[in-house]
Order: sequence, then structure tokens, then C-alpha cells
Amino acid sequence: MATTTFERWGRELTIAGAIVLFLLPLIGIPGKTYLTLTIAGLAMGMLLFLVASGVSIIFGLMDVINFAHGALFAWGAYVGFSIFQRLMNWVEADSVFQNFAVFLIALVAAMMVVALLGIILEKVIIRRVYGFHLFQILITFGATVVLVELIRVLWGPNDEVMIVPLTFSRNWDILDIIVYRYRVICIVIGLIVYGVIQFVLKKTKLGTIVRAGVENRDMVQAMGHNIFLLFTGVFAAGAGLAALGGLAMSIFSRQVYPDMGSTYLLFAFIVVIIGGLGSVTGSLVGALIVGLSYNYVAYLVPWAAAGVNVLIMIIILLIRPTGLFPAGK
Amino acid sequence: MAEPTPVQIFRIEEKRKQYRSGSFFLKIGILALFVLVPFVFPSYKTVDLAMQIIMFATLVASFDILLGYTGILSFGHGMFFGIGAYCVAFLIGKYGMPSYLNLALGFVTAALTASALALLISFLSLRVKAIFFAMITLAIAELAIVLATGLSHFTGGEDGISLSMPGIFAVSFSIGDFMGLEITGSVLTYYFIFLSCLGLFLLMLRFTHSPLGRVLQAIRDNVQRAEALGYKTFIFQIISITFGCVVAAIIGGLYAMWVGYVNPASSLEVMAIMLNVLLMVIIGGMGTLYGGIVGAAFLLITQTFLPDLQNLAKDFFPQATLLHNVLERWLLLFGILFILVVIFFPKGVIGSVQDYISRRKTILLGKE
Repeated sequence: MATTTFERWGRELTIAGAIVLFLLPLIGIPGKTYLTLTIAGLAMGMLLFLVASGVSIIFGLMDVINFAHGALFAWGAYVGFSIFQRLMNWVEADSVFQNFAVFLIALVAAMMVVALLGIILEKVIIRRVYGFHLFQILITFGATVVLVELIRVLWGPNDEVMIVPLTFSRNWDILDIIVYRYRVICIVIGLIVYGVIQFVLKKTKLGTIVRAGVENRDMVQAMGHNIFLLFTGVFAAGAGLAALGGLAMSIFSRQVYPDMGSTYLLFAFIVVIIGGLGSVTGSLVGALIVGLSYNYVAYLVPWAAAGVNVLIMIIILLIRPTGLFPAGK
Repeated sequence: MAEPTPVQIFRIEEKRKQYRSGSFFLKIGILALFVLVPFVFPSYKTVDLAMQIIMFATLVASFDILLGYTGILSFGHGMFFGIGAYCVAFLIGKYGMPSYLNLALGFVTAALTASALALLISFLSLRVKAIFFAMITLAIAELAIVLATGLSHFTGGEDGISLSMPGIFAVSFSIGDFMGLEITGSVLTYYFIFLSCLGLFLLMLRFTHSPLGRVLQAIRDNVQRAEALGYKTFIFQIISITFGCVVAAIIGGLYAMWVGYVNPASSLEVMAIMLNVLLMVIIGGMGTLYGGIVGAAFLLITQTFLPDLQNLAKDFFPQATLLHNVLERWLLLFGILFILVVIFFPKGVIGSVQDYISRRKTILLGKE
């Protein structure tokens, strides 16, 4: 399997690898800092992957560009924030078990609430504009405005410092290299999610139908599967991933603010353009490229950090307009 | 000579009626209104409101060339607007001095920069899919804000650039009273911008009603069909995008002239400007150009008088905190309005009215 994957994606992998390698000489920074930055970059990349994969799958299957993904992301962060507020003594408890328990509760709550929001969004407004890209962008942009304003009504318009469970804010000291515990957790979460998505897509019947839907929607419908139910489900799953990403990212950056979605949506778009719309692996590779380059450049030339991603995106668009791992169609 | 075709007969008929129809008088009325504003309501608030409506109506029309006539959604229109503002500010503010030559040069630079960038973005994104345009413009617009804030020694950073106007546009300039109104520099600037916007608007009308504009509408309605008819869609789309973006940049320059300063928050704030422009074009109606006037007037007037509305609500319903919260978050209401309009009136006010009138005409014709 590994060899076939390489045969199939050899060229893309080479380009992706070349970009990562190209970033390495940029590092005129000491080894320890470099390692810290790399871990931070990988963690950030994994979090971006959580957001971008939702955008990518939703586009791949439903042919919908979801500009409201950023708002769902922010909702995830805020729901998690509320749960942490309620269960403050568990958050502050000096027990790894309790900290993780509260994190899991917040995670499940955030994903449930946002998945529900996603279902409402899909059923009420997005269903009306299937097949019209222009109206999809317009209407999901409108939904973003409404969702972000609702956050401002419900939680107040100001930035808040994110509550972080005690365990997550600690760090390990390995050979004088300080490794923030939470960054490692982020990388693990990202890998687990990638594994689960790949498993569901490749090994289950549902995944087969979804992949078939990406290739040819009409044919799946002709085979007797309710594609609209599938659409709603995939949209809810994408929204849940956005919530997961939002909560994880808000702990990572230690703040929540109503407009946080737009910043990360931008990253997500850059990621899916680099990786190829509709591909999960592409999202992962793209997210890692973006996360790493952002952190390296942010250390070297702070103000240029946002620019380097756009630059990489432009280069990829010039070499491969469909992204590194173009899916189906 | 050959018999005139039905289309020619129709056109001749239309031409004859041109100066007698209701919409013609409406247009004249709106123009007269904007001409008279400084005389009738000389307070700064009203003049500023009228000026904003004029500029935004033109900006929305230029956005409509992309959205309504080419079928391409750009989130970078605010950026092109900002580029125009910064170009003018550089030339008569930070790196030059207030003179007519520099002012003209500023507009030329704005147009050139905007067209170069528009060409680059279109080449990058249209190779793949038209929807990529929305995503890429969003990314590049964000980059523009970062650059404007980050390169502070060059752009003035967060503080921005203040500029003073040359000669007759200067604030201190005055040529005395005319019909009870002191003709100051700002009044002359008002009329200068008004005439420029009018010129740009007429230019855009000409553009969309030209054969080129017809081709663009054909591409918007069905890309494959237009291609099959032998039109190189890519080139037409690029022409239209570049034209729309250059107009946006020029309006940005005019905006800088009116406001007297530029900073990233006021001129480049992509989301705020884009949100306004999108709301205006959707409410007014896509693909009509005139929709921009309706949308801009509605939105800006509402925003100006919103504080009064809030106070009114507080006076009448002092208990209803939820209502106050919702009114405080007026964007929520506009967002809901936006979604409703997209779902139920995708043609906006002007488009729906046009539909209604044409339906009435058909019914009347049927009765005859």
C-alpha cells in the first residue's frame, strides 16, 4: 500500500517535501529554539488540519464552499469556554484525570452543539443554494455575520482569556528542551482525527458511499442512497471538526474572541488551496506546511508571518493550480 | 434598404421613450437631490452622509461589475479601494506635497497598481475555478492589511497618513458666498467627487451596455455556452475584473480626498467594507448597477440614524434588555436581512421592481 501511495502521489510528495526542506535553511536559529518552533508548528498545523479538513470534505462531497466554517469554529471555542467556566474546580484541580475529564466533556459538548448548529444551517439555508457557488458563498457569509453577532449577544463582545485546564499549561523538560505538554496533545489529537477520518472513509461502508459521492454524486443517488441525508451528516461532521479545532485552538492561543473564526478560516482556505480541495491527506500536508512555515517565519521576521503562507499558496497555484492532492472530479 | 428587424424596431421605440419614462425623471431627481444637498442641508453630518452614499453607490456599482455582470465574487474589493486611498495619500501626503499634479499622479498610480494586482490575482485564480477567486482575494486582502500595518515606516502603520488638499480643495480655501452658502474647499471637494463618481458611473453603464458587457452576462449565465459560441471567457473575465478593480481604486482615492487621512482601519478594513458593500449590492440588486444607489442609501441612512432608534427603543421599552442587546448588535439584524434577501429576493430591490414592472406590462399588453 505504501508503495502504491508513493507511486500515485510521488510528485506531490516531492513538491511538499521540497517546500518543507526549503524552509529548513531559513532557520538561522539555535537548535533548541528550532525544535520548540517545530513542535509549535506541528501542533498548529494539526489544529489547522482540523478546520481545513471540514472545509475540504464538505466541498468534496457537497460541492459547497462553506464560509461559515470560521463562525462554527468560534462557536466551538465559546461552548468549551462556558463548560470550563461551569466546572472551574475540575479545571483547577491538580489531577490529570479530572483535567482530562473536563476537557473531554467540553469537547463533546462543543462538538454536539456545533454539529446541531451545522445541521440547522444545512437544512435551513444551504440546502436552498445547492449548485450555485456564488450564492453559497454569499449565504454562508451572511450566516457568519449572524453567528458571530450571536456570540457577541450571548457571551459579550470582548476578548476573553481562555481558561486552560491545569495539566495542559504545564511543560516537560527533556534534555533542556522545554516541550509544552499541550502542543504534544494537539499533535496527538490531530493524528487521531486523521486516523479516524481515514478509517471511516476507507474501511467503512459509509465512507465508501461518501467517497463515491465525491466522485459522482448522481450515480450514488441512482444506486438508492439518500444523498441529502448524507450531505446533512457530512456537514454536521465537518461542523463538529470545526468545533474541535476551535476549542483546541483557543486553548493553544489562550484566548477567545468573537471574530476568531475569520482569522483561522483564512488559514483553512490557504491550507485547502495548497492541499487540494476535497482531499483529507492534502489538508494534512497543507496544514503542516502552513503551520511550520508560519512559526519559523514568525520567529525570524514577525510581521511577515501571514505573508509567507500567501506566498506559498501563490507558488503552489503557479506549479499545480489544483493543489498538491487534487481529489476526484 | 432592408426592413428593420424586430430588435431594431424595439430599440428605436425604446430610444423614443427614453426621455419620457418615469425612470428617467427618477434619475434626474436623484441627481438634483445630490447637487442640492450642500445648499439645503449645509450641516456636516448630512453632507458627509450624502458624500458617503455617492461614493459607496459607485463602489458598489464597481463591485457589481464583478459580481452581477461577471459572476465572480471578490473579497478583495475593499483592498483595491484601500490601495487607491493609499496611492493618493502617498503622492500628496507622505512622499509628495499637495499639488494638482501629484493628485492626478496619485490617481494614475492607483489605477496602475490596481490593474497590475487584479491581473495577477485573476491569472492565479481563474485558471482553476471561479470560486477560487473569493478565497484567494480574501487571503491577499488579509496580507495587504498585514503589510500596511507591518511596514510602518513606509505606510505610517496603524496611525496612517494625514493629507492636506491642494489649492481649491484645501479646507481653508473660500471664494465667498453663493446663494447663502459659503463655497469652501470642502464644498468644492464635494462637487469634484460627485462629478467624478457620476463620470465613473456613466462609464460603468457604458461598459455594461456595450457588446463586451453582453458577452460578460453570457459568461455569467453559462460559461460553457459562451465558450461554445467562441468567446475566450478567460480574457473577458480578466478585462471585467480589472476594470471593476481600477474603478474601486479610483473611488478609494476620492475617499482619501474626502476624509483627509488613511489608515488600515478605515481604508483597508476588508471585512467591514466588504460587509457593507455586499449588503448594499444584495439589498439593492445584483446586476443592475443602480442597485448600488438604493443599497448604499438604505444602509448608510440606517446606520446613521441607528443610535436614535436605539434611544427610542430605550425610551419606549425600558425593561426589554434583550431588545436593547439586539439593537446594539444591529449587524445581527442586517445579517438576517442579508440571508433572507439572498433566499427570497435574489434580485434585490431594483431587480424585483424591474420584474414587477415588466410583468405588469405583459399583463397590460395581454389585455389590449
